[in-house]
Amino acid sequence: MLIHNLYKSFFAPIIILLLLGSLFLLGLYPDISTILGGIALFLIGMEYMESGFKAFSGGLLEKVLGEFTSSTPKAIGTGFFTTAIVQSSSLISIILISFLSAELISLTSAVGVVFGSNIGTTTTAWLISAFGLKIKISVYAMPMLIIGIFIPMLLKESNWRGIASVLIGLGIIFLGIGYMKEGFETLKEGIDLAQYAMAGYAGIFVYVLVGAVATVVIQSSSATMAIIITALATGQIDYANALALTIGANLGTTVTAALASLKSNENGKRLAVAHFIFNSVTGIIAILFIYQLADLVDYLAAFIGIGSEDYTLKLALFHTIFNVIGVLAVSPFITILVRFLNTLFIPKGSNKGKPKYLDDAVLPLPSTALSAIIMETKHLYENAFDIITHGLNLKKNNILSSMDLDDVVKDLYSSGPIDIDNFYNYWIKGLYGDIIDFSTKAQVNMPPEYIEELYKLKLANRDIVEAIKGTKHLQKNLLKYDSSRNEYIKEQYDDIRKGLAELLRSINTIATTDEEDVIMLLLSKAKIHAERYDIITNGTLDRLIRKGLITNKMATSLMNDSDYAYRISKNLIAMAEVLFINMGSDLKKLHEDIGISDEEVEVIAHKKDHL
Amino acid sequence: MGLKKFIKSVKSTLGLKDFNQEGKKKSLKELLKKLNKRKKSITASLKATEDKKEKKELTEELDIVTLQIKKGKKILYKLYAKK
Repeated sequence: MLIHNLYKSFFAPIIILLLLGSLFLLGLYPDISTILGGIALFLIGMEYMESGFKAFSGGLLEKVLGEFTSSTPKAIGTGFFTTAIVQSSSLISIILISFLSAELISLTSAVGVVFGSNIGTTTTAWLISAFGLKIKISVYAMPMLIIGIFIPMLLKESNWRGIASVLIGLGIIFLGIGYMKEGFETLKEGIDLAQYAMAGYAGIFVYVLVGAVATVVIQSSSATMAIIITALATGQIDYANALALTIGANLGTTVTAALASLKSNENGKRLAVAHFIFNSVTGIIAILFIYQLADLVDYLAAFIGIGSEDYTLKLALFHTIFNVIGVLAVSPFITILVRFLNTLFIPKGSNKGKPKYLDDAVLPLPSTALSAIIMETKHLYENAFDIITHGLNLKKNNILSSMDLDDVVKDLYSSGPIDIDNFYNYWIKGLYGDIIDFSTKAQVNMPPEYIEELYKLKLANRDIVEAIKGTKHLQKNLLKYDSSRNEYIKEQYDDIRKGLAELLRSINTIATTDEEDVIMLLLSKAKIHAERYDIITNGTLDRLIRKGLITNKMATSLMNDSDYAYRISKNLIAMAEVLFINMGSDLKKLHEDIGISDEEVEVIAHKKDHL
Repeated sequence: MGLKKFIKSVKSTLGLKDFNQEGKKKSLKELLKKLNKRKKSITASLKATEDKKEKKELTEELDIVTLQIKKGKKILYKLYAKK
């Protein structure tokens, strides 16, 4: 919940304060009132654009971030392009943290994306300088607002609503820039802020501090950049001080991220530290070499055709150059940086029963929220696997090995029963509750096709819990008859353990293989093998009673426990079908079409019994 | 022209109309190839083994794979028939 929560909690009060300030100053200083109103509009526009991109890009942005980050250069490039397109580094940060939590991306890649994102965010300055100030912005703002308002009336799909939000956001941003520009222009007629310009390093330090504080207060470096550029365009600040303010804005944004990361998990905190280190190093380099950088900007500006008096575009160029230099300076040390980050915020104590992947920051992102739920359900299954295995008095490593199943059931985990209730309370109950709670909250932002998948995932969670409860019922007699002198009942209970061990092993293979035919074969076999527990139909119980091999009491226990084993198998197979076949994959559709039906299971099982 | 009609005509112009079906056909063909390969290997193992328990397991696997191939082919024919 890095930037998002803090941003959300402070965003509304900041806008209200700006608007109140604007109203209060309307009579006394109408120009300052116009500037404050412009900033408020800019922030509202940014919020509209961010929420619009969330709805419009859907899972696309998340897919891009997930797939094009395999190497550091790729990650930097992806960070740059995605931020330049969505114009929101905070949105990229939210997705990155959720990806880190869900282990869909490495910390090295995430740090690379943050570096690229820092360069990408400089495009805002270019857009404001190149378009925001050079043209009559309100001419474009109004049509955008009108189109944005009418689109949802005509087209109901969430994609169109997202596009509408982006257009409304852009329109409001343009209006905001227009008001800021107007405010600074009229302000110049009354007060000339340029008289407070400070030369030398003292001026640089003061203006860096002002830029940083302004960004921390208004929670948006883009808004600070908009103020700096409009003030520079109207001559309210001089170019040298604007450069220092820009460096300050870059530093200020990391303070916001660091503060917000206090609420986030360890991955969010590590990423915020990486962001802070990167921006601080970049800021120090920019302050130390500010005059050389300004010369470089002059040289490059002339080279790419920016006029020597066009200070706003030169400022945008400066912003990009010092961030690029920062990336070039820090990137070679990315491995060392990540190694250092991994030593920070190591969780204390066991987290087995605590959610690892659920983060409220991803709730507005349906695809990522669903991925988080899938990962957490897998975490729940891992815990359940341990409980079921030990509840059946089996060793986990034996199940995961290729050891013969007859030997697996002989090698007991312990001489006494394990307290399943205790493990359930510590490892399952809270986690299950958290998954269901998170799912309910995530559902609000999900389109129907995701809700359908979410429903299946909820059922998979329930299946896992039911399987544990079934194991608890089984455990008592399992231990009792496993040490029985009656070899026939012992053989039956060993067969139950063997069957469930085989199923757990198959699920482990299903979870780790990419071979579709193997997955389909194992799931079908598991369904057929579950029929072995139907001891009434297959005649096992009848044979044992008729021949007097077991007592009536044993028969009743065996009948009940076979039913539990059957239900555990059914629960685990249903869970595996949902959890270990990728949602939306071709295999999922094909498995539904050509997987074997219940009737076919019975036919094959019956044939097997008579072989 | 309404938006839906426009999208429909663009889809048919670009040949995107049967995109999903084409994807399904391709995946199904791939899967059938794998299943046939598996069927061959199971049949070979079945001939080679003398162990009763192993024979039982392999026969069961052969039944499953044969059934899946049959069902897969049926769906593939239907997909071609639709075209």
